[in-house]
Amino acid sequence: MFIDIDCSQKKKYNQNAYGDYYLSGRFPNMNRVVAVLSDGLGSGIKANILACMTSTMLLKFMESNSDIEKSCEIIMNSLPVCKVRGISYSTFSAIDCYENGKAKIVEEGNPDFIWIRDGEVLKPECQLIPSKTFKNRKMKVYNINLKLGDRIIFCSDGATQVAMGSKQYPLGLERSGLIKIILNKLSQEPEISSMDLSSYLVRQIELIAPNKELKDDTSILSLYCRKPRESLIFTGPPYHQNKDGYYANAFKEFKGKKAISGGTTANIISRELNIPVTTNISFNTGKLPGISKMEGVDLVTEGILTLTKTLEYLESGKPEKDAAETLMKFMLDSDCITFLVGAQMNKAHYDPNLPIEIEIRKNVIKQIANVLEEKYMKKVTVQFI
Amino acid sequence: MEKIKVQVCLGTTCFVMGGSNLQELNDIIPRKYGDKVEVVGSNCLGLCSIQWEYSKAPYVKVDDEVVHEATVEKVLEMIDKKLGK
Repeated sequence: MFIDIDCSQKKKYNQNAYGDYYLSGRFPNMNRVVAVLSDGLGSGIKANILACMTSTMLLKFMESNSDIEKSCEIIMNSLPVCKVRGISYSTFSAIDCYENGKAKIVEEGNPDFIWIRDGEVLKPECQLIPSKTFKNRKMKVYNINLKLGDRIIFCSDGATQVAMGSKQYPLGLERSGLIKIILNKLSQEPEISSMDLSSYLVRQIELIAPNKELKDDTSILSLYCRKPRESLIFTGPPYHQNKDGYYANAFKEFKGKKAISGGTTANIISRELNIPVTTNISFNTGKLPGISKMEGVDLVTEGILTLTKTLEYLESGKPEKDAAETLMKFMLDSDCITFLVGAQMNKAHYDPNLPIEIEIRKNVIKQIANVLEEKYMKKVTVQFI
Repeated sequence: MEKIKVQVCLGTTCFVMGGSNLQELNDIIPRKYGDKVEVVGSNCLGLCSIQWEYSKAPYVKVDDEVVHEATVEKVLEMIDKKLGK
């Protein structure tokens, strides 16, 4: 089972900073995912600081398996006190889950999370833990077992209270209204990714808000337990030429989605598997060579320039329309990505007369692997061949 | 008469050495020669790795003849030569 996790957020109208804060960490060796969504008191910078501090501390405490009750007291005691309200406060939802389905959820102040299985909302039992130092503050702790296909949705109150006071939603959208939107979307797209679902929900909430102006920061954190989508990216010719056939066959036998990044690499696979590769000359999309086609391969691109650009897009999150955008999407649509990196170098790439500096493939792949793991929570394997 | 086949290399070296400017061929060739000449891309002609010491990318192949340091003009010249103009 793979846990697909993503968060989408929108700021309160006219604010410069997000008052909600989301953090997550994946530990591939332990098959574990930890995530926190916090909503800071007020809005703007003040809320951002409170929420950021809460998320960061809580994530660290959870990662180290600290006692959750104690951790929360420490956090509440550490937060700066709001001058206006005289209190230090931020609400949060946190989940610590393993790929075997075991999950622990802790909530304080945020709307109750939504647990969906087979189109139905489940109502799990919780344990209430009152704060020793702060009156009226109670944590809800859930120990649940997730199954393949389950979804968990967390949100900040900006989502449930949107349009409050309006004719249509006198009490806001409420949790029940949000559930309706989720179930409706899931009936249309049962396998929608967490990224798409969370951004869809935030968009819908914005549309409900009067004049599309959100009165509070709004966040949706979505988890989806699914079968991992595996993909393989072959880049660079193998160091030992006599292994070309072996690796080309391994590529052919791979069951998931497949991409080749590199002209020579594509030629080697084409030669070894006897599948022609064709390249469209209409490459005037952006500043990169275009995409080639090979039967049985989902994507064929040029190598190092496209990979370097893909790394840039992964880091910035702002792709342009070109082959690197397609490669980035290929990666983001996978959960487990294996890179087969050929160590053979093309000396022509290191000719100092080349108008641009070309990075060493190994380094670019290492950086891509890093950002995929850290920023996009993917499971990445890199094999140098 | 058989069509003349123009292969433009879109591999890394060729692309950065000016191959990106050769996309114009895609418009010019059909306009100038109609269906006598066909333009296709190649993900890599593999020439830079053999001839790297004398790197003359970008490369274009007009049938079996290689155009080194290819420009639109040089490619059109080669096509004209082939067509016996």
